[in-house]
Amino acid sequence: MNLMSLFAYVKRELFDPSTLFFIALALASGAALWWMKGEEVFELAAISGVTLVVMIAPIMLIAMVISGYVRQLLPTAVVERWLGSESGLRGLAVAILGGIVTPGGPFAAFPLVVGFYRTGASFEICVAYLTAWSVLGLNRVLIWELPFLGVDFVLTRLLVSLPLPVIAWMLARLLVRRRNRNA
Amino acid sequence: MLSAYFTLITILSCLALIAHRKHQVSHKEVVSKGVADTLPLLFRIPAAILAGSFLAELIPKAYVVALLGDSSGLQGILLASILGGFLPGGPMIAFPLLLALFKAGMGIPQMIALLTAWLLLAFHRIIAFELPMLGSRFVRRRLLACLPLPLLAGIAALAADNLF
Repeated sequence: MNLMSLFAYVKRELFDPSTLFFIALALASGAALWWMKGEEVFELAAISGVTLVVMIAPIMLIAMVISGYVRQLLPTAVVERWLGSESGLRGLAVAILGGIVTPGGPFAAFPLVVGFYRTGASFEICVAYLTAWSVLGLNRVLIWELPFLGVDFVLTRLLVSLPLPVIAWMLARLLVRRRNRNA
Repeated sequence: MLSAYFTLITILSCLALIAHRKHQVSHKEVVSKGVADTLPLLFRIPAAILAGSFLAELIPKAYVVALLGDSSGLQGILLASILGGFLPGGPMIAFPLLLALFKAGMGIPQMIALLTAWLLLAFHRIIAFELPMLGSRFVRRRLLACLPLPLLAGIAALAADNLF
């Protein structure tokens, strides 16, 4: 990266609206803390914040590279093909597994659901997939949850969340069935 | 934090090994894409984390502990589930805020309920992605099916906590 493009990068990222929002929030809350609780508390909070940044930055980079490998090894098209080809209990298992491994954020997951909902996947399978993607999706866990909340928390949450896609699938089935009976 | 590094490096090594056996995957490409994905966060995340740690000191700890602490039990889980649905924004806003609440003394079952509610029911993702792509009938029925899940996750965590 030469100096000009570095300059352009800093300018672009620094004047991004969400960056400006966080800088303003940090300045305002920092000033409020200094004013209300004094310099000592402010300093301690600043030091713990900076330490966390230094620890988290490499974790995020590693997680992004992991996400990149997953995307290469498991393109979205492959996930879509799996999801479209199975139904019943096997379809449920495939939907949950697909939700866990789907790489990328909502930009990747929602178009996928649209795709296989239109091509005939059932409503409850779509709900199971979306629930698995939301509560068990590895991408978000690695990039955000692990660095911010720690391994112990993540493991506990994943453990209690394991049955959730199945429960959502059952509730969705109940909803669909009742609707059909009433109709 | 050390165990987070250990976990990630193990996963990374396994994936890199698998990818190494496939010729169509270029390590250089993957790493430079990873760096490119991280660069936009370089200014935002530090500011967000600093704001989070200042806010953690400003949030009245006694309130957080009373309303959402470990001893708040089922009521805390219920409150957290409702809060989670209204927690604004993507992960960049949510996680520093969650960290602030965690530091201020929020209990683990309550945090699990809040995070689950945010993941499943948060309105920003529904409005930005789900509603325009899947339509209101789909969204309405999915929300109905997912509504009890944050409570269930919180209660399961509470039960696990009491068990061990």
